[in-house]
Amino acid sequence: MRRSRYGRLAALLPLLLSGVLAGCGDDDEPRAARTVRVLVRDINIRPEGVDCAGTGPYTYFHNKAPYRVVDSDGGTLAEGVLPPGKSVRTFEEDLEVERIPTFCEFAVPVRVARREAYRLVVDDRPPIDLTEDSSAGPALVAVVPS
Amino acid sequence: MLAVAVALVAGGCTSGGNDPGPAPTLAGGAAALPGPVPGGLALRPAPTDSPVAPRVAGTLTDGSPLAVADLWAERPVVLTFFSSWCTTCAQRQDGFSELARGYRDRVVFVGVAGEDEPDGVQAYLREHRVEYPVVLDDTGTIWRSYAVREPPAVVVVAKGGALLRGWPGGVDAAALDGALRELVLAP
Repeated sequence: MRRSRYGRLAALLPLLLSGVLAGCGDDDEPRAARTVRVLVRDINIRPEGVDCAGTGPYTYFHNKAPYRVVDSDGGTLAEGVLPPGKSVRTFEEDLEVERIPTFCEFAVPVRVARREAYRLVVDDRPPIDLTEDSSAGPALVAVVPS
Repeated sequence: MLAVAVALVAGGCTSGGNDPGPAPTLAGGAAALPGPVPGGLALRPAPTDSPVAPRVAGTLTDGSPLAVADLWAERPVVLTFFSSWCTTCAQRQDGFSELARGYRDRVVFVGVAGEDEPDGVQAYLREHRVEYPVVLDDTGTIWRSYAVREPPAVVVVAKGGALLRGWPGGVDAAALDGALRELVLAP
């Protein structure tokens, strides 16, 4: 009985996998490695360079929050969960204290098919427009609030 | 075919017709509340100019209500604001869990989980052997009352409700232990 059920599952596996992969676009499309970088400008007081999450209206930006990169039609190109953000200083002046005004920046490596436009959806919130930027390697970037 | 599938699923939900037994105790629930205050607990008097800690109430992981002021009526309280996805919280939690066991019944630790899901909180509490009560702050009311913008954060409240010390960004167990000895325990 058990072998029979597993055998049936094994037979269905390719079909199931093809269904899952279809959700992320056409398999034949070439995909390029990019880094999605989002700067959450929440101006929170933290040490520089520590793990962080968005604050205020952006608390849904945090480690393990689900994300999707979608095209202009809403088709999913990549998905996963966010890593922790890293705190970055809001200005260069040295305040000579450990905790300073910071933003929280998230960097997520993805492989996406070529599209005219990309958007980021975090935790099923409204999409955020991503802009292509190659100043520090191929990236899709956004600043919130824009 | 459908009938067979239903039978298989239903079969997986019983154990030979016996009762499934009591549900497992949720970590952070009422069972984690402290026992009586030990006799002879000597505390420092709170500074008279300390602000009053916000009196907050919430629901523990098992649905039990908790008024935090009921706890600090009898002994000092440490509020630890955390999320199960918070890496800094996880790095420090084992030390906090051990410290809380050491202070059990003398100083009460209360976790306040925000921006989180009950399943994630349970996994976190079990992984880090958290044996103190934990409030699920679904609405963020308690976090806002203490001006917590992101985890971790720690607050020490004296017996009686005076706000003694807060650490936005958190603190490690050794530093917290030192602060408790300095602020609340009589030498």
